[in-house]
Amino acid sequence: MTEPLLSVKDLSVSYGRVHAVRGISFDVAAGTLVTLVGANGAGKSSIINAISGIVRPSGGRILFDGEDITKTKSHRLVPRGLVQVPEGRQILATMTIAENLQMGARSYGAGAAAGIDEMYQRFPVLGERRKLAAGSLSGGEQQMLAIARAMLARPKLILMDEPSMGLAPKIVNEVFGVIDEVLAGGTTVLLVEQNARRALQAAREGHILQNGEIVRSGASETLLADDDIIQAYLGTGRAKE
Amino acid sequence: MLFTESTLVFIALNGVFAFSFYAVLVAGQLSLAQAGFAGIAGFTAAALTPPPLQWGPIPTLLFAMVIGMVVGAITAVILGLPTMRLRGVYLAIATLGFAEAIRIFLLNSDWTGGAQGMSVPKTLTPAVAWVVLAIVTYWFARQSRSRYGRALEAIREDELAARSIGINVGGHRLSAFVAAGVLAGLYGVMWAYYVRLMAPEDFGFSTAIDGLVTAVVGGTANFIGPILGSGFQTMLPEVLRVTGVEASWIRPFISVLALLLVILFLPGGIASLIPRRRQKVDVAALQTDAAQLSLRTHPAAGEVVVELKQLAKEYGGVQAVRGVDLPVRSGEVVGLIGPNGAGKTTLVNMVSGLIPPSSGTATVLGVPIGRTPVHRIAAAGVTRTFQHSKLFNRLTALENALIGAHVVAKPTFLRRLIWLPSARRDERIALAHAARCLDRVGLLDKANTLAKGLSYGDQRRLEIARALAADPSLLILDEPAAGMNHVEADGLSALIKDLSADGLTIIFIEHNVGMVLDTCDHIVVLNFGEVLADGTPEQIAADERVIEAYLGAADEPDADDTTSAPAQPAEENSND
Amino acid sequence: MLQQLLNGLFLGSIYSLFAIGFTLVFGILDRLNLAHPSVFAASAFVGIWLTDAFDLPIWLVLILVFAFGAVMGLLIERVAFRPLKDRPDAHFAGLISSIAMAGMIIALLQAAFGPNTRRFPVGTIPEDALNMGDLTASWLQIIILVVSLGLMIALSLLVQRSSLGRSMRAVAENPTAARVLGVNVDRVTALTFAISTALGAVAGVLFALNVNSAQLGMGSAIELKGLAVIIVGGMGSLSGSLVGGLVLGIAEVFAIQYIGSSWRDLIAFALLFVILLVRPEGLFGKRKVREV
Repeated sequence: MTEPLLSVKDLSVSYGRVHAVRGISFDVAAGTLVTLVGANGAGKSSIINAISGIVRPSGGRILFDGEDITKTKSHRLVPRGLVQVPEGRQILATMTIAENLQMGARSYGAGAAAGIDEMYQRFPVLGERRKLAAGSLSGGEQQMLAIARAMLARPKLILMDEPSMGLAPKIVNEVFGVIDEVLAGGTTVLLVEQNARRALQAAREGHILQNGEIVRSGASETLLADDDIIQAYLGTGRAKE
Repeated sequence: MLFTESTLVFIALNGVFAFSFYAVLVAGQLSLAQAGFAGIAGFTAAALTPPPLQWGPIPTLLFAMVIGMVVGAITAVILGLPTMRLRGVYLAIATLGFAEAIRIFLLNSDWTGGAQGMSVPKTLTPAVAWVVLAIVTYWFARQSRSRYGRALEAIREDELAARSIGINVGGHRLSAFVAAGVLAGLYGVMWAYYVRLMAPEDFGFSTAIDGLVTAVVGGTANFIGPILGSGFQTMLPEVLRVTGVEASWIRPFISVLALLLVILFLPGGIASLIPRRRQKVDVAALQTDAAQLSLRTHPAAGEVVVELKQLAKEYGGVQAVRGVDLPVRSGEVVGLIGPNGAGKTTLVNMVSGLIPPSSGTATVLGVPIGRTPVHRIAAAGVTRTFQHSKLFNRLTALENALIGAHVVAKPTFLRRLIWLPSARRDERIALAHAARCLDRVGLLDKANTLAKGLSYGDQRRLEIARALAADPSLLILDEPAAGMNHVEADGLSALIKDLSADGLTIIFIEHNVGMVLDTCDHIVVLNFGEVLADGTPEQIAADERVIEAYLGAADEPDADDTTSAPAQPAEENSND
Repeated sequence: MLQQLLNGLFLGSIYSLFAIGFTLVFGILDRLNLAHPSVFAASAFVGIWLTDAFDLPIWLVLILVFAFGAVMGLLIERVAFRPLKDRPDAHFAGLISSIAMAGMIIALLQAAFGPNTRRFPVGTIPEDALNMGDLTASWLQIIILVVSLGLMIALSLLVQRSSLGRSMRAVAENPTAARVLGVNVDRVTALTFAISTALGAVAGVLFALNVNSAQLGMGSAIELKGLAVIIVGGMGSLSGSLVGGLVLGIAEVFAIQYIGSSWRDLIAFALLFVILLVRPEGLFGKRKVREV
């Protein structure tokens, strides 16, 4: 068995007195899509931010590609191939689409311009509007920009935080289509979502979060078919025994 | 000789000047205009006051001081009114500019003697200076524990929270400004009548900085701060002189070095080293005391207390809330749920008056929201908690609740100045009421813990206690159970039902759907800014659309049956 | 009248150069560095000293002072701003700490150079002028204009076209998004400070050359004008500072002519006040002024 690309062990994240994440562990094998689902406030974003180095964990270890990155900050992780597509897109609205992509391609190296052109091919709307401010894009288009931007860092692992948030169902389909492509291209994906069904359909395996802890884990087909997930997810049932 | 007459007088004078900074710093404002107030007050008083021979030295001095205070007050109002909306950096710059403009005006006027300035008879004695300082100190000492003083502190800690409890922030800010003006004016006059020769240069930028250093180094943690700061600033050159340090650059260097060290390592100033006496409550007398507070009568059960008609909010092309219609009746517990980004907080922000709607109307307890300021809505009986705790962190739990009682407590400052016993009684009653609110949420034993020292769950409960202290008829809670475990969430659910039994109407946003189903009479589900479903817990739990909205719809438009199958058993089970 | 306009332009370009550094830090960090004017003053003294003690030509002095300013910027950021980063009262505390540093810098200046006015050694400042028909422009004024505009154009190119510039704009707009993109926010902040104070330092030497003197009070004298310029132009807006500075320079020159020099300074404050009340984000500014 090869080493998983990402290994999270006993991770805890606290903000002052708030224990957002309490000792969770999971692995992500290279080339797969793993999803963390849970209701709002379950701690999903905190996990993503801890892995990507935006937030410092208060306990536990994170191993990426064999190295301990628990305390490593984001600006060192991006060149190593770990990027995040943050919650709410967080695109730079006053900068142009081209500039947003250029920011993403900072660690691309030689041939960045060609890489950016590829993105224009793949997402024609970005190409058409490349000189316009990124804030002029619709929600779904911004999500595409955010993903394209992340892909330009040529990551090994891409962390996605609630890509479907605020998007209409049809657009959500498109976004997940892009996620499938990203996966097909060989990039590993860790997906955090509120939209549990969609996420589990796309993933190989999933973990259900409640109040900062993982309460169920398993292959996604199993989880999808299980009605306990609805209990755990909505908080209508008592969680783990 | 370290303590000459001159040092004694200057400690008192610098103390008064520092108090003029303190007056606004306690409310969280950084104003640098005090030197300007001092300048114009000093010159005006000197120009208008007859020579001492006419009435005698002390009466003429008193006359001059009164003029100085009045001029200071008027100037402060002239500055304070237009700058009401400015905060932080912008306020500091505006006040700095204003002071400089005064200086230039004084410099270029004939009646002031221009750059040469005016000579003024020396009639100030150390006794007068210290009496004035004592009176000013007394004023601020009595202010600390009055309703007014607490309101200023609330504004400093969290202005928005203060507003939502019913504190009129604009009015309080302006009054703090006027206090600063009066004190600065007093300083200007006293200084002139001691130093004998005053020129516009004496009320310029470096004076402002000196005053700021004195106030910040001394500290705003309590009313002794300005005196400590003044002691430091005034004694520093004396100490240096006595120890034989000659170079003239050393005194200002040490002075600002102290400022830097204080702001980096001891932000409350030297005064913060003195432990603060916290407000305590007499637990035995709790029930009788609290009962004396006249409370609101809640609207009759079933009466419509909130009426939303096509309420909508748009942010730059994005429809956060679209045409929501919603009546809420007195005594109901309404749960507002929906996926992330559905518009729940935006809706609640409109109902509590924080943001104006883009279209539609809403009436809350008879008050039309939209143009009504937040504090009036609070006074009408609507209070709320926030998604991210906005507690007054550096105050205790009891003090937080006490400030929460602002709209129901009686003002006590002026009565406290003359030690009227009725003031003491009113304070005790307010304290008892606050303590009872803490007891209601189970925090009475933590009354004397600083808010920032409480556990997260306790902080959420303190927010509720504080909101309760305002005696609302409508209580709005934004994710009160966030971060709570099952036991705590159950406790919260019981509390909410309890409050409802007392006649309160409660609206709360929550993600813990189980808790919502348990607690509410009436649930409203929002999705994409619209009402998706509206009904009783049984109806909502059975509604497939709701489950879909949360868990996500199946991926193809023509969903195959395998993906909708799990919804079937879920219907029966989700009624937990 | 055209001559006045020209004189105003020369003076204004110094104001612009000073203000642009001021506004750059505000744009990135949302903080006002009130130690900026003290570096302006310090560099004037340092510039005079370099010319005097080592007989260096002006162009070299400008370069050295630029470096001096950059170092001061790094120091100020490290001591007065970075430790306060995560504090809830960060805005207030930042103002106070930079005021404190300004005071310390001026006090040290007095220690090093004494309280008196310093002047450039005789012969430093070129005497001759250029005549173009009715208008006269001294070579000094032309140098000032060229250096100021040159630096501002260079800054603008840096910010608009370079990778560092994009990172700076990203941090200014959304530090979290910048972090997510892998920008080293601390380093970008420090560099921005360095550039901004370096520009202010050059402005200080140019100003000292213009009036052939350096005094301890020159920092506070220009501080308020600088604040007026950045408020009127819009906090965080580079073009606003450029235009605002020129406008102020021209307005001052005309005011001296028609109203009298002692009322001159009032112009800056009148403008400042009106803008703060009417349009707080300034003429070119885009940021919303924080209400709470």
